[in-house]
Amino acid sequence: MTQHAEPAVTTPPAPGPKETDGRTSRRPLALRLMARPEVGVFLGAVAVYVFFLVAAPPVRDGAAMANILYQSSTIGIMALPVALLMIGGEFDLSSGVAVITSALTASMLSYQLTTNVWVGVIVALLVSLSIGFVNGWMVVRTGLPSFLITLGTFLILQGVNLAVTKLVTENVATDDISNMDGFSQAKKVFASSFDVGGVQVKITIVYWLVFAAIATWVLLRTKYGNWIFAVGGNKDSARAVGVPVTFTKISLFMLVGFGAWFIGMHQLFTFNTVQSGEGVGQELIYISAAVIGGCLLTGGAGSAIGPVFGAFMFGMVQQGIVYAGWNPDWFKAFLGVMLLGAVLINLWVSRQATRR
Amino acid sequence: MTDTDTQAGDAPIVSLKAVGKSYGNVRALHGVSLDVLPGRVTCVLGDNGAGKSTLIKIVSGLHQHTEGEYAIDGEPVHLSTPREALDKGIATVYQDLATVPLMPVWRNFFLGSEVTKGPWPVRRLDIAGMKKTADEELRNMGIVLDDLDQPIGTLSGGQRQSVAIARAVYFGARVLILDEPTAALGVKQSGVVLKYIAAARDRGLGVIFITHNPHHAYMVGDHFTVLRLGTLEMSAARSEVSLEELTNHMAGGAELAALKHELAQVRGVDVEELPELEDLGESAGKSAAEPAADSKAS
Amino acid sequence: MERKTRTRKATAITAACAAALLLAAGCSSSSGGKQSEASSSTGSTGKATTARMTIALVTHQAPGDTFWDIVRKGAEAAAAKDNVKLIYSADPNAGNQSNLVQNAIDQKVDGIAITLAKPDALKDVVAKATAANIPVVGLNSGVSEWQKLGLMEFFGQDETVAGEALGKRLNEAGAKKAVCVIQEQGNIGLTQRCDGVKKTFTGTTEVLNVNGTDMPSVKSTITAKLTQDKAIDYVVTLGASYALTATQSVTDAGSKAKVATFDLNKDLTSAISKGTVEFAVDQQPYLQGYLAIDSLWLYKSNGNYMGGGEQAVLTGPAFVDKTNVDKVAAFAAKGTR
Repeated sequence: MTQHAEPAVTTPPAPGPKETDGRTSRRPLALRLMARPEVGVFLGAVAVYVFFLVAAPPVRDGAAMANILYQSSTIGIMALPVALLMIGGEFDLSSGVAVITSALTASMLSYQLTTNVWVGVIVALLVSLSIGFVNGWMVVRTGLPSFLITLGTFLILQGVNLAVTKLVTENVATDDISNMDGFSQAKKVFASSFDVGGVQVKITIVYWLVFAAIATWVLLRTKYGNWIFAVGGNKDSARAVGVPVTFTKISLFMLVGFGAWFIGMHQLFTFNTVQSGEGVGQELIYISAAVIGGCLLTGGAGSAIGPVFGAFMFGMVQQGIVYAGWNPDWFKAFLGVMLLGAVLINLWVSRQATRR
Repeated sequence: MTDTDTQAGDAPIVSLKAVGKSYGNVRALHGVSLDVLPGRVTCVLGDNGAGKSTLIKIVSGLHQHTEGEYAIDGEPVHLSTPREALDKGIATVYQDLATVPLMPVWRNFFLGSEVTKGPWPVRRLDIAGMKKTADEELRNMGIVLDDLDQPIGTLSGGQRQSVAIARAVYFGARVLILDEPTAALGVKQSGVVLKYIAAARDRGLGVIFITHNPHHAYMVGDHFTVLRLGTLEMSAARSEVSLEELTNHMAGGAELAALKHELAQVRGVDVEELPELEDLGESAGKSAAEPAADSKAS
Repeated sequence: MERKTRTRKATAITAACAAALLLAAGCSSSSGGKQSEASSSTGSTGKATTARMTIALVTHQAPGDTFWDIVRKGAEAAAAKDNVKLIYSADPNAGNQSNLVQNAIDQKVDGIAITLAKPDALKDVVAKATAANIPVVGLNSGVSEWQKLGLMEFFGQDETVAGEALGKRLNEAGAKKAVCVIQEQGNIGLTQRCDGVKKTFTGTTEVLNVNGTDMPSVKSTITAKLTQDKAIDYVVTLGASYALTATQSVTDAGSKAKVATFDLNKDLTSAISKGTVEFAVDQQPYLQGYLAIDSLWLYKSNGNYMGGGEQAVLTGPAFVDKTNVDKVAAFAAKGTR
């Protein structure tokens, strides 16, 4: 056979192990830390806290902090799965009313069938997980933006909450279940408080921090966490390398369902009756806490710790305004200004860190 | 490297015999035959719309062929998902679907095949191990990175492609399909990618290199397949075709040669540089006559 | 092999579901629940023998509002008695509410009952109804505007009047500082109530805006306010469920403040008996809805109308406190008070 020309390109020799690219020098540790999104929101939260410590003297009290943390925890527990879902590239606008759906299910089922309250609780869990599944399945199947799909679910759930409650109880709120079997047990699990140095601390605060720790570990230290980042960052690349995209997305929506169930149960056992029209607008607060906490709206980046500080910031500002005794007419405006301020601090910090 | 020096024997890993794909009444691909041997780079060339992507999607498992036979290791297959192709050792590196830009390099490297340690329910990622392996594998391919934690999106296009190639090589790919890796890259970047293609080839992989740039193809290719309008226009080994002939084929030289006489009538058109149809006749005639035998002849 | 594991899996799942159902069935509650609900004596209401007519009731209810739900129940009761087809529609937005009234006019109803939360927005559409010979009555809001707009009758107590009455009651109780909790900033009815209180209450009235769609937030915010201002001795809420939450906040904040509210519900009457809530203002929403529909029926079938076109028919406000809560409790349990 004829000789053919050698291919022009051959393998380059492997460089030694100690050789580096040489073009980048190691940035100082402090700056590298500042570049992490969690640090920015942490500093923002600290700034807000210090601000209110100064402007609102009642905040310095331990009981006041417990109250602020309680408010933060009821937002924070939902902000966690909403943040994970956002990192996975999707939104769930039905998360606010889903909380009420869960509470209504548990309450009405237990009351109407006169069962032990725990039966209602478990059925509510199944219902919430199913709603999450349906959301996720529709998003994956249709390929439509989750914003649209969950907007539809939001409207449906809002309507169903009102109509079914009216149908079953003939009122707009559920009946009293506080004298039913299992109520006091369930209350202890979902809505109790304990004493810490003379201050009553609500148990949701503990749950919040525990869930946050678990979420962080899952996100950063497990295979599933890697999949979440991949599926949110570039769904097609992830699918091409064998990441189970459908499973990941649907399970993330179901996690939001779990969160809705948990907060729904807390609400049910704290307040005993559930108003069917509530929950509307909460989804934006959860999403805000996640975004303030560093989760990209476009997906693929974020953390579980950031939203913890984001939720804290929300609770701090919301209650701090009251503690400071500012004019209540300006409440919403103050809330907006403070949040923007916190976000800008966050942005400034990360800019400084990456510029040097 | 002479043709008697085949590393893993003469058996092709992937073999397409008169493969075709129709979408309804549109015949996107027809009568394409191709063999991929270990340690060889097979270039698939053709202009836009020639059917290159359809061909690649069939080989990588994204689509199913509707005519002909697709054999892996001599056995006919009908792949239904990319996962199946991956499991058989056929890895595809797409132009824009190689990586997740915001994720660190080492996470991208192990995406879909993460290494874990520990018992369930505390099974966690073996981060230290993965970083070390990723670093080693990248160095073996000649890629040196200071910080494996940097998001892969901060790397240059060529480096990103190279990481994807190194990843495919590490995860036991036997056939590597590269879908126009140099299309969006500059000269230097393209050189980087070509180096890594050669490295993969030298490690014993069969490489299918899709491109519309004959110069790039000629630098690393052992065999050239030119597609036009969904069919095979030319299939030749390196020994049988020169760069000039290849370029002419790619640029539609056959059609221009046919038009030469007509164009000569028009004042102001310089037809001197155009080849004559007879000059192109050898390789053009060969491709029409014996497509199957030809790929074995190298 | 795969088949076997699949059927084994399916059997396991079915078995688990069956077990769960059995468990659920067995887990009945020994107290409370529907079984122990006192049977409400709903004897069959006699139906009037007059011709069927259609009446539209258009209010400014926000979805899920308890107060308006009771107004609606009253209207439905009257409709059932009078052989009337009731068309109920509502929208808190005044522009939308007037569209709904236009809708009723287009449907050629026999009578329209509306609430005048924003009288200017409804002026035109009321004129159109009158021009089409459809009698229009007003209820609840607009006690000083209904005549000008040409409505035939008016039933109810204005939110402002109710607020003023509560303010006077606070004076009697010797309160010095009250906080008025608004669960939806910008809601006209709620704002009017607090304004009414401010008008007659001799002490200081402060407004507190809370996020009514999130009960835990309502609780935290009221707690925060009570902590911030130890001088508050009365928490005034604008809905029964919010009063119950306020009682929790009072405990949490360790405050000595008392709770008073507008509107009743089932659980509130027991709270009043127990003393955790001092009193509630009852505007008798059921009666407002009832009279609105019944009056139109009367007018259509016998030409009667109340008030002589000059005076409003007052339905309240009445106070429910420990002294008279027993009389009301049974009705509140039915969800009609």
